[in-house]
Amino acid sequence: MDEIKEVSLEMREYIISSGAETLNWCMQCGLCTNLCPYRQVPGELSEVFNIRKMQRQGQLGLEGFDDEEVLFACVTCGMCQTNCPRSVEIIKNVRSMRNTIVGAGILPGHLRPVAGSLHANGNPWAGPREKRADWLEGLNVPEFTEGTEYLLYVCCTSCYDTRSQKIAKSVVKLLQQAGVSFGVLTAEESCCGETIRKIGDEELFAKLAESNIKLFNGKGVKKIITTSPHCLYSFKQDYPELGGEYEVMHYSELLSELLKEGKLSLPGEIAKKVTFHDPCYLGRHNLVYDAPRELLQAVPGAELVELDRAKNKSLCCSGGGGRIWAEVPFGERFGELRINDAVKQNADIIVTACPYCITMLDDACAGLEKNDVLKVMEMSEFLCESLEK
Amino acid sequence: MVKKTGVYICTGCSLGESLEIESLSKVATKEGKVPVCKTHPFLCGSEGVELIKSDIENEGVNTILIAACSPRVNYDVFEFDSVIMERVNLREQVIWSQTANDEDTQMMAEDYLRMGLAKVKHIELPEPYQGVNMVKTLLVVGGGLTGMTSALEAAKAGYKAVLVEKSSALGGWMNGLFKQVPRKAPYTAPEEVDVAELIKEVEANPDVTVYTGAEILEIAGSPGMFDASISQNGATITERVGSVVLATGAVPYDPTKLDYLGYGKYENVITGLQMEEIASKGKIVRPDGKEVQTIAFIQCAGSRDPEHLPYCSATCCVESLKQASYIKEQNPEANVFVFYKDMRTPGQYERLYQQVQKDGSIFVRGEIKGITEDGEKNLLIEATDVLSGATISTEAVDMVVLANGMVPTTALGEDFAAKADTEEDKKDDGPKPEVILRSNLLNLSYRQGPEMPTLKYGFADSHFICFPYETRRTGIYAAGSVRAPMDELSSIEDATGATLKAIQCMESSAQGMAVHPRVGDMSFPDFAMSRCTQCKRCTVECPFGAINEDDKFNPLPNPTRCRRCGICMGACPERIITFKNYSVPMIGNLIKSIEVPDEDEEKPRILIFACENDAYPALDMAGINRLKYNAWVRVIPLRCLGSLSLVWIADSMSAGIDGIYLLGCKHGDDYQCHFIKGSELAEIRLSKVSETLDRLDLDSERVRMDQISITDYDKIPAMLDDFAAKLEELGPNPYKGF
Repeated sequence: MDEIKEVSLEMREYIISSGAETLNWCMQCGLCTNLCPYRQVPGELSEVFNIRKMQRQGQLGLEGFDDEEVLFACVTCGMCQTNCPRSVEIIKNVRSMRNTIVGAGILPGHLRPVAGSLHANGNPWAGPREKRADWLEGLNVPEFTEGTEYLLYVCCTSCYDTRSQKIAKSVVKLLQQAGVSFGVLTAEESCCGETIRKIGDEELFAKLAESNIKLFNGKGVKKIITTSPHCLYSFKQDYPELGGEYEVMHYSELLSELLKEGKLSLPGEIAKKVTFHDPCYLGRHNLVYDAPRELLQAVPGAELVELDRAKNKSLCCSGGGGRIWAEVPFGERFGELRINDAVKQNADIIVTACPYCITMLDDACAGLEKNDVLKVMEMSEFLCESLEK
Repeated sequence: MVKKTGVYICTGCSLGESLEIESLSKVATKEGKVPVCKTHPFLCGSEGVELIKSDIENEGVNTILIAACSPRVNYDVFEFDSVIMERVNLREQVIWSQTANDEDTQMMAEDYLRMGLAKVKHIELPEPYQGVNMVKTLLVVGGGLTGMTSALEAAKAGYKAVLVEKSSALGGWMNGLFKQVPRKAPYTAPEEVDVAELIKEVEANPDVTVYTGAEILEIAGSPGMFDASISQNGATITERVGSVVLATGAVPYDPTKLDYLGYGKYENVITGLQMEEIASKGKIVRPDGKEVQTIAFIQCAGSRDPEHLPYCSATCCVESLKQASYIKEQNPEANVFVFYKDMRTPGQYERLYQQVQKDGSIFVRGEIKGITEDGEKNLLIEATDVLSGATISTEAVDMVVLANGMVPTTALGEDFAAKADTEEDKKDDGPKPEVILRSNLLNLSYRQGPEMPTLKYGFADSHFICFPYETRRTGIYAAGSVRAPMDELSSIEDATGATLKAIQCMESSAQGMAVHPRVGDMSFPDFAMSRCTQCKRCTVECPFGAINEDDKFNPLPNPTRCRRCGICMGACPERIITFKNYSVPMIGNLIKSIEVPDEDEEKPRILIFACENDAYPALDMAGINRLKYNAWVRVIPLRCLGSLSLVWIADSMSAGIDGIYLLGCKHGDDYQCHFIKGSELAEIRLSKVSETLDRLDLDSERVRMDQISITDYDKIPAMLDDFAAKLEELGPNPYKGF
């Protein structure tokens, strides 16, 4: 406590005006810090990342919150926010604090290519725009027109990443099997912008969102199916303020409805022990807990076992908030804990429903050399396996 | 009254199966020669009670000894008018704490019966004290929120009240406020001060006589018969009142002592009260006219600081939050800092705290490192911020408000004893008189001093655990912030509670009964004045200032001030003080009635003098929990350990008792003694007896004293065994058998 730090009311006001409206509500109880997944892992980052203290520094406009390593560490999993006794919108505060830096054009090194690609290509993966629809090859998916009921919006990750493309393809198969009226606008779409907004680049987010809204509104889109819970979040929570109002569903929500209506049948037996990893953005951020479980249990022979930390207590894979692009030393990754959770339950398969989670869990499973006992599958892939049996 | 004694032995609750009832009966009939001795298997049942009633009505039995359960239970069942009644505790303190059908258990039961018989032999029926011209009018001193509430509550309950206020108008502290803290849902914003309505109500009430601009010149007399002289506009009015509520409140802590926070040094450092004045005038501006845009509140300015007020003043956090709302209402963009140690916003005040937080005030938990002034008389504050782990400094603030805490009005004034101390008094190694300050509130014409004895921090003493409104002056009840730091709602509640106690006191006094804790006791001390040596011990030791002095320096008891604890009886070296049902010879004969076996029988005897209020119940509790304890003990309950007469120690020793154990309440600042100083006085007396014992070649370790509370019952068996082991080491009492 030797150095004296100046309280900056100006900085405080700037943070609040960037969207941290509930910053003052924080009473510094510290529940957030204790619930933070960083407490579950060892390492340097775990030692310095203190979400409570970050709120405090923001409240006083004290220097220190802008330390790049700390400021961009939050995975936006929502564990703290869901449990905050004062209903402080902690993630929004983090976003605003990041915005005070990013808005000035300063971005951590590992995120610069991401922003660059979003500017240039409309996706964070440095994928050429003309290749965005490559995943559709071999599939008979019509373009979305006025008469189509749903727009299927595929996450950038599943457009470009070969592993992830499987998810998009599986979702298509399931929708077709259930006879859903849907079409795509993949070639013209841009990234939903969910993650770049969390990173703090409001301007870039607005650019992406406005372009999508213009496209959707122009094509007469009313209902959207997303493959990723992150896109689901963005369309539902972020787009309305920019004039994009749609009925948005994650594909698992729609499929579980179709299952109940008898329009989707999953005939093939998969006699395995299956566990479900709730993605933060499907669970805590969108409160979808039952739909994926209903679908898994509909597969003949599949036995659903719950992880110790499940539903609103689910542990983040660490792929949110821009962390999917962060380099984290092996041994400090949340995904490893998740794989161990599943192994502890003697599960044969860990199923999840988010392209980010798949990336993180795949890495962790391989890193821990657990591929021989545990398989990581996306929900749509698992269901397709039953379809095809 | 010629006594006809009936002994009734209950055989229920396994008493019949655990003791030889026949030989127990023989103790009554053969040794005690009582004309009536009966047993019943269910004495507390209607048939058992009828049996006793029938003997009272038909056999002329007028003295009853019930040998059954503890006197702490079934007291409502065994209640008979106009007869002498005593209980022998064979259940909790014999069969539940001893081995059944054991020789030693039987001896214990028989001894208790003998002791009971010895006791009833001495008891006479008390005759209630009747005062002269007793009234049931309440005097309330202090016309603030507490005082006005008290007077109105008394009037609503059907009593007359006299309300005396020093200043020219009623309202007290509330008059100085711009707004009051929220009392209504949603508790998020200050409210308009509503004291005017209360003042109107008080002034309109025909049963309340209000004297404003008035002071108490003197209060003489005792409960039911206090004479208060009130001076108003140069005239003196006398009112006879039954009891008094002291509601003189508190004053802010002297801010000139807070120069380290800039008070007196910088003109824009003000107190909370000054902030109310500024806000009442309209726009919140500094003396130089600058509008206050940035303000800092410094909490615990003096409070919770051993150098100033060691206690929490209870209201300052909420008051500062309220004042923060003033600023935010004037200008929502204004910046508010609140520097605090802990924000204490109990109950609904948490909602105000949350609102002020949401409105954007900045709360800083930590210590103030320094305050400086810039060229424009703005202030810069440096403080630690525990929550960010840094030392921070603010930008210039326009004004600093110190939340400077409260000091009770009883804490002000010179020490009465300091002047009264003569050389002779200083030599006296006896108990010291209590601290009384000349605070000019009540001006009691008591020998012990003109005001209330105060405890920690100058608040009027009260037994905060068991009976908060009782003070050390019977019939005078403290309420509001003169009793403890408190807010408005608590003051209203306090006023109501104290008024109720004051009414109870007037009613009890009129019937000659004691007030708390011996409620309903009709006995009072009788002084055999011809033998008095004017030693003043009784007047000094009575914790309630019940005993004045007449013009010939003899003690002048005031029976309605008396709480019947018997401390004067224990204090009197001449043993001239007795109660009809409690006296030095009575306990002496109880001791002598115990059968002490010869040395070769190897059955030592331990006498326990147990305080009736905590130690005796603790012994019962041990029995209720079936904790077996030493079989050599015999328990004599005392009204208070302070009533212990040293002659009982000598009586016990010469009776061949091997050891004496005194069990009393915790004393000191957080005392639990129901009579404040009883156990402390017993300890002081005991320190003197050890020299005597040593002289008689009796080891002073034969007498032990411990503090015990009711919750310590589980420690009793080990405590007794430890003492028994010590006595074994010392060997038998050499006076045994003489």
